[in-house]
Amino acid sequence: MEKTGFYEALAEILEVEKVGDADVLREFDAWDSLTKLSIIALADSDYRTVLTAKDLDGIATVGDLKDRLEKNGQ
Amino acid sequence: MNDGGEHPLDLRGRSYLVTGAASGIGRATAVRLSRLGARLICSDLEVPGLEETLGGLRGSGHIARPFDLRNVDAVASWLGEACSSFGQLNGFVHAAGVPCVCPVKGLGLDRLREVILVNAESGFALAKAFVNPRTFAGSQGSIVFISSVMSLVGSAASAGYAMSKGALNSLTRALALEYANRKIRVNAVAPGFVKTPMFDKTSAGWDDEQRRRVEALHALGFGEPEDIANAAAFLLADESRWITGTVMVVDGGYSAQ
Ligand SMILES: NC(=O)c1ccc[n+]([C@@H]2O[C@H](COP(=O)([O-])OP(=O)(O)OC[C@H]3O[C@@H](n4cnc5c(N)ncnc54)[C@H](O)[C@@H]3O)[C@@H](O)[C@H]2O)c1
Repeated sequence: MEKTGFYEALAEILEVEKVGDADVLREFDAWDSLTKLSIIALADSDYRTVLTAKDLDGIATVGDLKDRLEKNGQ
Repeated sequence: MNDGGEHPLDLRGRSYLVTGAASGIGRATAVRLSRLGARLICSDLEVPGLEETLGGLRGSGHIARPFDLRNVDAVASWLGEACSSFGQLNGFVHAAGVPCVCPVKGLGLDRLREVILVNAESGFALAKAFVNPRTFAGSQGSIVFISSVMSLVGSAASAGYAMSKGALNSLTRALALEYANRKIRVNAVAPGFVKTPMFDKTSAGWDDEQRRRVEALHALGFGEPEDIANAAAFLLADESRWITGTVMVVDGGYSAQ
């Protein structure tokens, strides 16, 4: 499980230079259905975690997402 | 060819390998082929699922041979060993595969290569190993690759998967010509969305609106694994003896628009 790369991978998906724990996911310009699919794919391939579109709607910030993935991917 | 009496897709006396047989389309195909009288080597990396499939087959003499197809270099020796105890095969159905719903920006090269390895390279390795005289029975040869309609129509977030299945379609046509004089036909089936565990995984990323939209694109609704199994059985049976090099679309109308 590649956790050190979480912020880098997420920044690439969100199409920004870097992301921080307090950043709100839905406020990114690139926040759309394809971006959500990319995060769902990241959860599956790097964290062996099944996230649904609904799950993702309930996750507010980058930090919350990280917690969710790390909790599930243990 | 079929003078009445027996089932038009009669496969009695025939032997096949089915990959991906622990689940979904592979499992339904194994069940279908066994009901048509064939004897089977069922393979998958999921051992419990494989055993469950074996328990549901009709007839006797079927065996399970678990194998991780990512070990492409070992396919020939594995298949040779399996056939040394089971006997030779008339063909195989390659249903093992992995989904990949991911926009390009989230798709790393490692993941892309893994998808191509499991879905396409393994098909090449199986077809290469199959012609060995230890493996191929020498007559009524037929290979069926389970491709996808995503190899034929574009869709966002499908680049890796579409590449892997497109490679299978191209392999199908090239091999059909290369293997014709060996009496081996080579075809692919390109399913639309079929209700299997893979479908559940793929559709996890959809909201209700997306699900309705995708379902509406299938004029006949989502498919069942048996719909694909029936097509695979036809392509193995003698009824399809003049069909080779084709990609048979079985998609409830998905690609008709
Ligand atoms: N379900 C669909 O909507 C759909 C649509 C088009 C094409 N397909 C294709 O149909 C085939 C079967 O899919 P399904 O829907 O039954 O999926 P599934 O997930 O139910 O079954 C796929 C099987 O392949 C096996 N597998 C995966 N990687 C493997 C490996 N490295 N070695 C050995 N076995 C491996 C899995 O363990 C699983 O049992 C796949 O090739 C898939 O791409 C499915």
